[in-house]
Amino acid sequence: MIMLIYAAIAIAFLILVLGLFRKTLSLEPDECVTDNYSPPSTANGRWLHLSERIFDPTDARWLAEELGFPKLANALIIDRKRLAIRWLQALQAAFDDLVRTPESSPSEVPGAGSAGSWQMLWLTFRFKISISYALLVVKLFGPYYRLIPSFSWVPMSRRSERSFRRPALANSRSSH
Amino acid sequence: MAISVCAFLLDGLLILRGARNRLFSLFPLFYSYLIFAFCGSTGMYVIYWLFPHVYPSAYWIYFLVTILAEFMVLVEISDQIFRPLPAIRNLGRALTIFISAALGLVYVLPVVLWSPGRRPALFGFALRASVTKAIILAVLFYVARHYGSQLGRNVGGLMLGFSIYVALHLASMAGAKAFSSVLFASIFWLMLPLAFALCALVWTISLWELAPMPSMNTISTAPGRDSDAVALELTRFNSELSKLLHR
Repeated sequence: MIMLIYAAIAIAFLILVLGLFRKTLSLEPDECVTDNYSPPSTANGRWLHLSERIFDPTDARWLAEELGFPKLANALIIDRKRLAIRWLQALQAAFDDLVRTPESSPSEVPGAGSAGSWQMLWLTFRFKISISYALLVVKLFGPYYRLIPSFSWVPMSRRSERSFRRPALANSRSSH
Repeated sequence: MAISVCAFLLDGLLILRGARNRLFSLFPLFYSYLIFAFCGSTGMYVIYWLFPHVYPSAYWIYFLVTILAEFMVLVEISDQIFRPLPAIRNLGRALTIFISAALGLVYVLPVVLWSPGRRPALFGFALRASVTKAIILAVLFYVARHYGSQLGRNVGGLMLGFSIYVALHLASMAGAKAFSSVLFASIFWLMLPLAFALCALVWTISLWELAPMPSMNTISTAPGRDSDAVALELTRFNSELSKLLHR
């Protein structure tokens, strides 16, 4: 019986690998970038400003408490929730596009295992966890909840952010 | 014996070809494994002809060390898959280490510690190590596909050859564990060299020439950037999200 199970595992594994291998080799660009949103840039100020409007509860409160239109306020909150989900999905798509960005000069690619590569992997991992959690919170509770934990207690995250910012600052100073 | 010699010769040919094409620096762990396998096989032939009484125990020691050394090939594959993508360059290695450690603790180690004898422990270890390798390969294939990492001919061949080897090894070990050693002995001695010979054949074909990685620009809509720029963008993404979450 155990022999049959393991033989089935071996055959299933080989079929899976051959299937994935065939698909990976003949990958079309449209197959892997399947997001419906055009990825925005974080450098785009208007796009970031939009997030402040979406996640700001002031106008919903104003409608409900000052003008006395609770139904209209609820409709606004539902609409904002939909917008918030789309905004977060667009941010995720933009991030995935960044992750898929190849090295511009492959000849100078450092080997895997360098400290910088591990820090970048951590930043990628951290963003993925945060955005998944944010999406979950917005889908469950709406856009006006502040429930996301901080990663500032993780020493590596502080170090990695500082180490990436320092050379950038130095570059910007030297360019002035 | 003929299959073993074929596998041995293919191994030697791969090393020679790799030295000629200067592939050692591009695939350091893989060629270290090949050199280990070649030297190990040479040593085993020498022991077989000169000290036949030592051969059985030497064979099993070599067999066990080889099972562990094969993880070097997995690490090499995992490094190569994401090499062009600076943001997740270490993702493959992280996955390999994490899955190996997790399954090693909860799945492989118990069979070594609590098997009733040396033989079941040995076959159980080999079988479960093969299952671990198969899981790692499947996960790497899936993640590579998810991120649209195109495998070049060299890396694709490396993965395909090793997958065939792992699948045959897995089937052999399952047979060795299920049937009695007497019944299985004739198949076991054929299957393991056959698995390595097939694997070495695929590797020889795929690594005969150095093939450049396919252009990643066909997958990403963004133009290529250097890793410092990617690191800055990653930091910016994280800080923007943090700002939003802690508002």
